[in-house]
Amino acid sequence: MDRQRRAGLLFVLPAVVYFGCVFLVPLIESVLGSFYRSVPGGASQFVGTRLYVKVLTDPTFWQAVGNTVSLLVMSVPLTVVLALAVALGLHRLQRLRWRSAWAAMYFLPFAVSLVAAALIWQWIYDPVYGALNHFLGALRLPPLKWLQSLDLVRPSLALVNVWARLGFDTVIFLAALQAIPAEFYEAAAIDGAGPVQALRRITLPLLNPQIVMVAILELIFNFKIFDTVYATTQGGPAGASQTVIMLLYDTAFKYFRLGDASVMAVFVFVSLLLVTLLQWRLFRRQVEY
Amino acid sequence: MAALPPPGRVLKTTRLGWLTAALVAAGALCVVFPFFWMAVTSLKTVPEIQRLPLSIFPDRWSNLDNYREVFHRQPFGRFLLNSALVASIAALSSAVVSSLAGYGFAKFRFPGHGVLFFAIVGILMVPFQSVVVPLYLWVNRLGLLDTYAGIVAPDLVSVFGVFLMRQSIEVVPSDYVDAARIDGAGELGIFWRVILPAVKPAIATLVIVKFMWTWNELFWPLVVVNSPTMKVVTLGLVSFTNMYFIEYNLVTAAAVVSVLPILAVFLACQKWIVRGVVMSGLKG
Repeated sequence: MDRQRRAGLLFVLPAVVYFGCVFLVPLIESVLGSFYRSVPGGASQFVGTRLYVKVLTDPTFWQAVGNTVSLLVMSVPLTVVLALAVALGLHRLQRLRWRSAWAAMYFLPFAVSLVAAALIWQWIYDPVYGALNHFLGALRLPPLKWLQSLDLVRPSLALVNVWARLGFDTVIFLAALQAIPAEFYEAAAIDGAGPVQALRRITLPLLNPQIVMVAILELIFNFKIFDTVYATTQGGPAGASQTVIMLLYDTAFKYFRLGDASVMAVFVFVSLLLVTLLQWRLFRRQVEY
Repeated sequence: MAALPPPGRVLKTTRLGWLTAALVAAGALCVVFPFFWMAVTSLKTVPEIQRLPLSIFPDRWSNLDNYREVFHRQPFGRFLLNSALVASIAALSSAVVSSLAGYGFAKFRFPGHGVLFFAIVGILMVPFQSVVVPLYLWVNRLGLLDTYAGIVAPDLVSVFGVFLMRQSIEVVPSDYVDAARIDGAGELGIFWRVILPAVKPAIATLVIVKFMWTWNELFWPLVVVNSPTMKVVTLGLVSFTNMYFIEYNLVTAAAVVSVLPILAVFLACQKWIVRGVVMSGLKG
């Protein structure tokens, strides 16, 4: 190996070693750990796929999976559609007064921790003194229990996620919109296309890669939802907001059933891997035409 | 041919334009409302937040009793310091290791180049929660629970950083590198004097974004921190809320304390953050 090639290898070495230690080795250990039952006292015992059978037949686990899916079904489409709408609006209003300030307002929640976001919203959702119920009262509507209600807890948490993520997605869409050449719209206008047609025939098709990317990013983000739930409901009421990562955390660090937690870790990894593969497929289809 | 007015102007005069502007502004106000509500609540007394009918603004804008109480009940100063320290270490180490790796991947060809880069990209697919149990066991074995080293351990480099730096260094002309090499500069010297000055904006973006992410993180600190003095501010905020959760005047004050430093960073560096989001659109 000549001097230069060795230098290149040395430059990347710290990062490679680090990622190996912090991600690759632990990932392998997680997979191996899912085949062992840890016994109090430190010893562990090989149990084959018994933990998989145990976790994957546990209704609590599937309830958590169901809750997670229902959360992301509510928040992902809403976030993407709203972000798209806001980005289109902001893009159209190039001459709006204080345009960058309006844009920054949407982006603001991105800066704060999800913990702080969740706590602010918990106060807004407060069943007695919360701003939201005051608002309902002003409309002569009965107060709701939001985070304490079996039916509303997931929509309420989903809304917090939408709020937290809207700005991030908007920024991506705005950048993509700015990259579309203005001549496209001028040509369309000369051909007599109205704004709706321009949107359907030019903007949305050209934005498709970003829409797919943002949707996948949101899917992954929402699948891993933890902070907001942990800071507010801790999975309650009656497990109605228990999510997969919440369950993983409790199983590992509250009940110290590390084997069970490893099974869940593998489940999370494989699920998100499938999502990523789906993303690649979608992108490849994109390139075809 | 008649000159075509720019699309913005056409829209502005139409009713649709006004409607769009009104909706965008209304949406922005809705998004900002929780911040506003947090701020005003943190300045109210308990009777004020329970008052009917609701009073939106605090009686006394200079009422900082809640803040005094927050710092009195929990060492929030220490929490802020811990967060600042951990986030700074993560940001700096990330900048150093990522730019080294970015340079290696962008300007050198060595055996395993493709495989290694592909492997690092692959790590994006590994959710942190899938490796958290073994990581915890390692940190425990190394005696790093409840230490800064333990808290910062998984945050020292991120895939995002390596990506960002590789992308940025790739567009630095290789001629510069070759010229410096002919002049007899060492590889590290080239990195330090040629590459780094050329990619300062990318480094700024990386440092700021990484600082923000680390500051806002909850999951890992929750796992490795037990002692009250080692808590980072997200953790301090959660445990404060668990203890005094009905007292929303205090909880919102604590939330303001935890959010204010990062909001300041965000508002000062928004340009760089937007750049980071746009350049990669990924979080690693």
